[in-house]
Amino acid sequence: MKLPEGRLVRSRVVEDPRTVLVDALDRELTGYAVFEPQDAILLEASGRGVVTFRRGVPVVAYHTGTDRAGPPALADLAAEGPYRIRLFALAPADLETVHDRSTFRVPPGMAAERLAGDPALADRTRAAAPLDRLDGATESAGGAAESETGDADGVDERQPGAVEAFLDDAEKIEAIREQARAEAAERADEWGFDDVG
Amino acid sequence: MVEAFAVASGKGGTGKTTSTLALGMALAEEHDVTVVDADMGMANLLFHTGLAEVETTLHDVLVAGGAPVDAAVYERHGMDVVPCGTNLADFEAADPARLREVVATLAADTDVLLLDSAATLSSRAAVLPVVLADRVVVVLEPTIPALSDGLKVQEYATSYGTDTAGILFNKVRDADAIERIAPKAERYFEGPTLATVPASDRVRAARRNGRPLLAHAPDAEAARAYREAAATLTVRNRDSGAVADRFRSAVLPESP
Repeated sequence: MKLPEGRLVRSRVVEDPRTVLVDALDRELTGYAVFEPQDAILLEASGRGVVTFRRGVPVVAYHTGTDRAGPPALADLAAEGPYRIRLFALAPADLETVHDRSTFRVPPGMAAERLAGDPALADRTRAAAPLDRLDGATESAGGAAESETGDADGVDERQPGAVEAFLDDAEKIEAIREQARAEAAERADEWGFDDVG
Repeated sequence: MVEAFAVASGKGGTGKTTSTLALGMALAEEHDVTVVDADMGMANLLFHTGLAEVETTLHDVLVAGGAPVDAAVYERHGMDVVPCGTNLADFEAADPARLREVVATLAADTDVLLLDSAATLSSRAAVLPVVLADRVVVVLEPTIPALSDGLKVQEYATSYGTDTAGILFNKVRDADAIERIAPKAERYFEGPTLATVPASDRVRAARRNGRPLLAHAPDAEAARAYREAAATLTVRNRDSGAVADRFRSAVLPESP
């Protein structure tokens, strides 16, 4: 997925992808966000996640490490914080080509609902989305969520594409579990639980 | 007999307290149930049970030379309820390590102990209920952060010798999606999906009214889901005395 570089409007390290979604929505960003996880343990699955926005509403998602697009790319960019985030503004015309790729699309509220776990933000995002991207819209609004379920018509806002893709990534889940086990063992010493379990 | 369950999730806002009380009330139809607010830093069970004004709470029991456990036990909705206070200074004065003794005392006189646990794994006090419990019920939402944090809870639990009783999907807004998500999640969790509980305004209304969901809206779909979860949860028969001794001898340090 090729995008012009655009004008950098924000660069920061955040713990939670929610921050970026709120920021993009509040500033009605037309452009894109680059998510770069800083977590060393998951670096094997490294790469960057890219989410584009039109007036603050996510349109397409892509992950450079896995080369996946649409909802699975949202799952790929889910990682333990912190992330380095950069937000770029672009002219709407610069996004046209990539926004035309229906397999890259994500339903407007999916990142907020499934990646950030914030239903209220998802509702706000959906309220800001143009009508042709909401439920009952034609195939141009649909995209990858459909291709994942094989359901060719309409868009279900809450399609679990991203959550399912996350659960399908056994390697990533194992990395999360391994990290938690290591943490639990380390803290057992720290907290004096060392003879437990 | 007695079995202690920690109701836990790594993330806040998943509805642990609602779930703890709903499971408690449903289990109370067949068992003697004691519910403890073990989220000692962010207690809120008292607000769900109309106990916001009571004199003695778990905090008072956990301070040196504090009140006896009995003084913090209230009979509500067919259960014994042990609320925790919300005063930060009281939390700081309390010694979480004493929770072990509290749990041991309560275990001697109940069938099911439910420990409403903290929404974090970042401190000893927060993890303690998971360590003390026999099994953990992991409360999830169908989102990536909730699943990710739920997996961490399970790993911590397993590391400290606590089994997984099952997972409970809460605040479910899309029934079709959960049918695909739950079986995939089950691959990674040691226990079954106990129930999927729909998002419901009646849950919020119950909280506002200071009543558990099963008392406020027993006919709600969410209430039905919790009763189903409780029915799926087979409480193990254990000898109370032996379990109480186990809690007392759990290898936990005294407060430093």
